[in-house]
Amino acid sequence: MNQRRRLLQSSLALGALHLFPQLSMAQAKRLVFATFTGSWEEAHRAVLVPAFRKANGNAEITLDPMLSVDQIAKVTAARNNPPIDVMLHDPGPALTAIGQDLVEPFPAAQSQHFKDLLPEAQEVTGPAIFFQVVGLTYNPEKIKTPPTSWRDLWKPEFKGRVGITTLNSTLGTGWLVEVAKMFGGSESNVEPGFKAINDLKPNLAAVASNPGALAALFQQGQIDISPGNFNAIQILKARGVPVEFVSPKEGAIAFKTTIHIVKNTPNKALAAALIEAAMSPEVQTQLMQSPYLIVPTNSKVKMEGEIAKVLAKDQAEMKQRFVFQDWKKINEQRASWIERFNREVRV
Amino acid sequence: MNPTLPVTAYPLRLAAPLAGFMVLFFVAPMLMLLWVSGYADPGMTQWGSLASWAKMFDAFGLGVLADTLWLGVQVTLLSLVLGYALAWTYLRLPPRLQPLVIFIVMLPLLTSVVVRTFAWIVILGRQGIVNAALLDLGWIDEPLKLLYTRSGLVVALANVQLPLMVLPLITALQRIDPNLADASASLGAGAWRTFLRVTVPLSLPGVVAGCLLTFAAAITAFISQSLIGGGQMLFMPMYLYQQASSLSNYPFAAAIGLTFLVAVLVCVSAFNALGRLSRGYAAA
Repeated sequence: MNQRRRLLQSSLALGALHLFPQLSMAQAKRLVFATFTGSWEEAHRAVLVPAFRKANGNAEITLDPMLSVDQIAKVTAARNNPPIDVMLHDPGPALTAIGQDLVEPFPAAQSQHFKDLLPEAQEVTGPAIFFQVVGLTYNPEKIKTPPTSWRDLWKPEFKGRVGITTLNSTLGTGWLVEVAKMFGGSESNVEPGFKAINDLKPNLAAVASNPGALAALFQQGQIDISPGNFNAIQILKARGVPVEFVSPKEGAIAFKTTIHIVKNTPNKALAAALIEAAMSPEVQTQLMQSPYLIVPTNSKVKMEGEIAKVLAKDQAEMKQRFVFQDWKKINEQRASWIERFNREVRV
Repeated sequence: MNPTLPVTAYPLRLAAPLAGFMVLFFVAPMLMLLWVSGYADPGMTQWGSLASWAKMFDAFGLGVLADTLWLGVQVTLLSLVLGYALAWTYLRLPPRLQPLVIFIVMLPLLTSVVVRTFAWIVILGRQGIVNAALLDLGWIDEPLKLLYTRSGLVVALANVQLPLMVLPLITALQRIDPNLADASASLGAGAWRTFLRVTVPLSLPGVVAGCLLTFAAAITAFISQSLIGGGQMLFMPMYLYQQASSLSNYPFAAAIGLTFLVAVLVCVSAFNALGRLSRGYAAA
């Protein structure tokens, strides 16, 4: 009887471990890095993880890819014993995480690579390990003269062929701010941007609810031109969809993607070591190559390949051609913009 | 066991595990949502405010709610017309063909909703099947805008949810005694009269069940609504997602979620009441 009960207990425990693998992970103090899903995860698994393990005596690491908002929700739910040690964020969510006191400052003074980052990337709350770049995307089979400016979206010849996305995404919000700036507005005044979107309505073939949906619309010929993320376009191109990316002459919008140590993590040293590896010129150089094409933030990385060709041939040109936005100001008013977009762009 | 108890009177204890499960994983989270909706700010620092609820019940919020329910009604009506015709046809097919039709009806349920939705993007797009056919026939000169329109969304949702309508209808129609139609005819009623006075009333329980399922599925179909409706249409699921996911405004998102839940429950109870009435009607 006793033996049977013990057997039952241990098999239950084994079952639980299978059901909830985190149980065993928590005990082993494995470093957990919440990267983004999709191609980002692939890139980090292939390049960053091996580099980190090599430099840190084969330390155990788990990638747990999820959206920024899920990372914040998970850490908020267990502040004292966070299930994630390192977070990765777009500029908007990064400020939310910092504002909610979920982030441990990065020990920049002890860092080897931090000082080599471009000044824009040197954030002590969590350095930027790559840039996401937004420019114009177009279908070269339908549009023979490549567009050069955001203003081209308003051209009469693109009637019913333009795609944009809602402000739910970083891309959509950043694009609205850039349009506002072009017509005399700023991060705190997007009035001209809304007016411009209103004027754009005859040209709109689609207002996608997320940037990912734009990709399918290019594939289906529903849209021929839209604002787009450089990396998303590369994935489409690799699959044979006729799309090209150009930086508009007003400058391509660059979002800093920052990496953060989670407050109260028991793995602080390893977390910092992972960030160190992610900043290193070796890792960033490798991630810049095809097929990853991730834009580096370390000034020691020599620009090559598609990125040098399409975006910027060196860091000096990058500074000239990239536009960074003030997301602190954007975040202050984003909720009211989304509300306004809900009301005004609705059909 | 007391031998005088009827055999169907099982002790309530047997339901306790399920009840506990529901309380833990359904009722408790709902109460937490209600609690969250009481915060005054997105950072959730000040509790004790009706701000989220006031915002939910302003003209815009109510408009989104009404529009979402109206979408459900449109999809349900279209599904009902298509589904009734299909179920009617099914019963008159030779028995050899019936399994094939059932298979075709079930097919959409066997594929992921994302795949079905993407198929509709291919059908409705500027270079899609519909536009290509109309252009080839020379009926139109320019591709029509079908994707990201209300009618496109209604048609696509009706297709996606059709199995939920057809299966209860087939069951209900199958249960009708064919002699009743013959009796009606022998008493001098025409085909239409028989259909309207005999078949339709007797199939009402199936109609109600099908409408209930289709309606509930159509208004909550977040993926189809956002991919085919696009960013220029706002329904409750997307409104909720936007506030929770893009803005981290959990109090308002909680208010939206609970309002939507209650609205759906009200509709479902209304349908159920109708269903009870119609069962009485069918039995009479």
